[in-house]
Amino acid sequence: MPSYKSDIRGSGKAQSGFIAFGFLVLSVIALYLPDPSQDEVASLLRGSVLRPFILAQEGLVRRSIHAEDTEVLQARLDSLEAVIANSNTLSEENARLRSLLDLSGRTPAQYVAASVIRSGTPGSESMFLLDEGTRSGVTKDSPVIMGRGLLGVVREAQATSATAMDWTHPQFWASAMTEDGSIYGFVEASRGRFREADRLLLNGIPFQEELEAGVVLVTSGLGGVYPRGIRIGVVIEESDAQEGWRRSYWLRPFVSPGEATHVQVRVSRGTPDTEVRAPR
Amino acid sequence: MRSPLRIWGVVGLLILLHFGLHLSLGLGESAPDLLVVALLIAAREVDIGWGAGLGFLLGLLDDAFSILAFGANTFALTLVGMGGSRTRDLFVGDSLFFLTSYLMLGKWARDFLHWVAVGGGLRESFVDTMLIQAPISAVYAGIVGLVVIAISGLGWETVR
Repeated sequence: MPSYKSDIRGSGKAQSGFIAFGFLVLSVIALYLPDPSQDEVASLLRGSVLRPFILAQEGLVRRSIHAEDTEVLQARLDSLEAVIANSNTLSEENARLRSLLDLSGRTPAQYVAASVIRSGTPGSESMFLLDEGTRSGVTKDSPVIMGRGLLGVVREAQATSATAMDWTHPQFWASAMTEDGSIYGFVEASRGRFREADRLLLNGIPFQEELEAGVVLVTSGLGGVYPRGIRIGVVIEESDAQEGWRRSYWLRPFVSPGEATHVQVRVSRGTPDTEVRAPR
Repeated sequence: MRSPLRIWGVVGLLILLHFGLHLSLGLGESAPDLLVVALLIAAREVDIGWGAGLGFLLGLLDDAFSILAFGANTFALTLVGMGGSRTRDLFVGDSLFFLTSYLMLGKWARDFLHWVAVGGGLRESFVDTMLIQAPISAVYAGIVGLVVIAISGLGWETVR
């Protein structure tokens, strides 16, 4: 007589194997889900199960910002006041010249201040969360800027948070030009052997044009994502990677992603407001 | 004493600690991968279906922050959960050598599967990722896993 117990064990094992296979199939489906569905699942998890952990980091980041030395903050304030004082004359001159040329006034950009939250989980390298979202005007493709230059771009935005990638991400690229607007190209991330060695590569420079070390590159506004004039980096040297009659240059970015704890997100709103809105 | 309550308590605590260290404190790679340690400990207690299910859920949580490689952690941890459960049938011993190898190989396999699933555009070089960084992470996770097993009194013979 066959053993009843072993039959149950056998069928249980088979059932368990089927369940395991089912989960494996689900995991492969998750891998190939369309981007919007992946984003939905990810934001659902971030907004539910993982929310307490994100809130904890938000709290810690805010505390660390508040704990910053007041002398350092005072020095930054003094520098800003000096810049504003110097630019007053320029603003007046600009307004006068515009009126002479019969040009309408430019709508100044609006920025939203946000705290950077890094998840530190595998696969999230080069990505970070922002504690501001669509309610503050942050949308997909909003540029993220730190004091000295471009840090990255928003990939997706929810109501009160957003996910962004910094310039070290393999899919980062930006249309760039020299500060005087005479030479155009595009910059992309180039991974080093280790993350600390990541840098930017400026491609597409016509062969007849040469850039000296120290030349500053800014966004050209041609790509449609980044507005014109955001500082990207400075030329270090020419790269060996040449494509046809084009030159490439290594850039040292102005902003190091590791330093980013507090950033400005450029938002597009109808209101002509130059104020930087403080984080919630 | 290896009571189920203790085992699942330790597994739950490791999962909380993982997200606490990586996410709340933002320690990144300087904190060990406690998620895989938790999964490997749990997988020895359950059958292959539950192992895969737990790996799937933990992988999804890890993937919540990897927008351009979504699913890679889920795929890797599902397979690690399945493999961990299978070791119950293949290896009976609980020696220190077995535990060390199990935790380290489990972590290395997780990194390898993630590297495979992450896609060509984001994949870094095999030598740097799998032969330099992954073994270091595996040793780190293995040591932490052994310490956790020892201090939590999960009762594996040699460790105890």
